[in-house]
Amino acid sequence: MDEIKKKEAYQKGIAIIILLAILSVIEFTIGRLASTWWVPLMLIALVKAFFVVRDYMHIGRVFAGDEETH
Amino acid sequence: MTAQTIPLPKYLKKQVTNRMGLWLFILSDAFMFAGLLVARFYLLGVGSRPDVNTFLGVGVTSVLLLSSFFMNRAETAAAFGDRKKFERSTLVTFILGVLFLVGVVGVEWQIAPFGPGTNAAGSLFYAMTGFHAFHVLTGVIFLAIVYRNGRKGLYSAERHWPVEAAAVYWHFVDVVWIFFYPALYLIGKP
Repeated sequence: MDEIKKKEAYQKGIAIIILLAILSVIEFTIGRLASTWWVPLMLIALVKAFFVVRDYMHIGRVFAGDEETH
Repeated sequence: MTAQTIPLPKYLKKQVTNRMGLWLFILSDAFMFAGLLVARFYLLGVGSRPDVNTFLGVGVTSVLLLSSFFMNRAETAAAFGDRKKFERSTLVTFILGVLFLVGVVGVEWQIAPFGPGTNAAGSLFYAMTGFHAFHVLTGVIFLAIVYRNGRKGLYSAERHWPVEAAAVYWHFVDVVWIFFYPALYLIGKP
């Protein structure tokens, strides 16, 4: 059971970094092609930040009390 | 009484308070960075940006994102009691953090064709990257302490709050850069 949870946790970390890499490539391409498109660039930044805060910083733990340790 | 000797229920209760405190600190720190971001758009608008090297920008951004991945890996390893993986991943995060600092302060600051006093763009660039770099430096020191204590065997699967705190702080520094990167390197023309 613990092994499955462990594997899932590592896989989630990999999935998030792949997502961040894809978004960064899109962001860089937009920035090179149309540098005045600040709205999509900031939106991409918001999406990236959302995933980092939710999945890497585990903001949910703040509201979970001492029930969730990892 | 050390963290390893106090009863687990007490440790977990304390961890809840610690976690809240850390997040309140992060929230207050975020306002300072938000202020800098607002100043950048207020003073430069969306049509211009500092004359910086965009390829170096994407390089240091990749390094920081990758460091976040390894920090997450280190925290997961600590949470499951995988000491070797925790040590390796923390060390990689530390190295990537130093590499980021070298890229921004050691290279970008040296090759930038402007100084902090040249114009508003210059002032903003050095203020934003400087404040951020200071946070990265703090994070790197934090990582070094966590790595050293980890090697001494001070953390276990149940008791590794310092590792979680270091991870949350490190990811926060990454989140700040996620917004600073497009604001300084992509939006507007030099």
